[in-house]
Amino acid sequence: MMHLTDEEMIQEYYGESENPAAVERHLAACPECARNFAELKRDLADVSRIEAPARDAGYGERVWAAIAPALPDYARQERRKWNGSNWGTRWWTNPWTRGLSYAAACALLAACAFYAGSVWQQQRHPGITAIKQAPAPQPKQPIVLVVLDDHLDRSERFLVQLKHADMESGQTAWPLGDEARSLLAANRVCRKNLAATSDPELSTALDHLDSLLAEAANAPGGLNAASIAKLQDEMNADGLLFEVRVLRTRMAHPNENPAKGGTI
Amino acid sequence: MDRNDHAAIQAVLAGDKEAYGALVVRHSQTVFRVAYRITGNEADAEDVVQEAFLRGYRKLEGFESRANFSTWIYRIAVHCALDKIKRRKGDETSRVAEATDPEQDQVQVADRAAGPERLLLSGEISAAQMDALNSLSPTERTAFVMRHMEDCSTAEIGAALGIDSNAAKQAVFRAVQKMRRRLAPLRVAT
Repeated sequence: MMHLTDEEMIQEYYGESENPAAVERHLAACPECARNFAELKRDLADVSRIEAPARDAGYGERVWAAIAPALPDYARQERRKWNGSNWGTRWWTNPWTRGLSYAAACALLAACAFYAGSVWQQQRHPGITAIKQAPAPQPKQPIVLVVLDDHLDRSERFLVQLKHADMESGQTAWPLGDEARSLLAANRVCRKNLAATSDPELSTALDHLDSLLAEAANAPGGLNAASIAKLQDEMNADGLLFEVRVLRTRMAHPNENPAKGGTI
Repeated sequence: MDRNDHAAIQAVLAGDKEAYGALVVRHSQTVFRVAYRITGNEADAEDVVQEAFLRGYRKLEGFESRANFSTWIYRIAVHCALDKIKRRKGDETSRVAEATDPEQDQVQVADRAAGPERLLLSGEISAAQMDALNSLSPTERTAFVMRHMEDCSTAEIGAALGIDSNAAKQAVFRAVQKMRRRLAPLRVAT
């Protein structure tokens, strides 16, 4: 004989058996199921109904008073909906506002496309993104540094040419004079830009360079053997070429002399 | 459907907000009762009542005129109460942990002979029953309350909980089994 399952007995207890007549017949014939069913009935009968604390007659009014301010008026809602659609219609039928809408939509589309493109690029090149997000610490005045390095490079080449200039040849004198004028202008710009720095070696070197270049650029009657020889003497006396080389090396390896390297 | 309820709903939808007040006054006691039985907590039940009537107002346009407002708002209240006890589940877990303390079970096994002690035991039974209810999942608890205390059919439970009848039946079945296991120490004492 198949016994009743717990589920069937629970359904029977709550009056929801699919076949109540068959369940009752079984319970009458099977003492074991009858005992289990009696236990179930007793257990569930012991589970008393939770009695809710009484609410007084004014409870409903209080609930209404609490929620009423938060409720919108249905007619007003409808009116707002209608007004909203009418306003929208007016907006759309006006050619000016419609044009404005198209322009706004185009701008929005362009912005979205730009954003999507940047996101796509970031996904394709995460390394670039990482670099962009965490830029390496930049030295102070990076643009000035590049210009200065270029100026020192040109100055070094000028000084080397001056050092080895053939005093008898007028061919070297003309380009040196032109280069000296060009460098003089650049040197003054650099001196002006670096006036606030506290690098005495650099300032001194630029001052020496300035006087040398001024002499070379403004030599009466242009550069000749005598003026070149005089310039060579001044250059060697000041150790100007050496100074410029030291400065260039320092700029190329700023960390090797931290006391001076990062101050430019 | 109650003609008064129907008229009040029509009035509300026509713009008479105050008409909803009549519905609130008429059904708030019933809604509070089921909310209290499901949440087991007076403050939570009052929150549920307000929440249910607020939700009811906002959904009133979707209310079918053939339906019964009391059944409809009852289902909304059940949903609100279920949401409430789901949110409270963390707290309930800790209470279940306390209830599984074996020492507590020993306290529940008391002699019913004397009058005052019987009263004391009655309180303990109620507490044990509440603990047993708290040990159920929110869905099981709601299904059990609706079946055992509110006399709802499995179909009504399923409709209120948004599950099919079979799932509702299983929820009631699991709840009954858990309740019996949880209350077994009390049965031994008697």
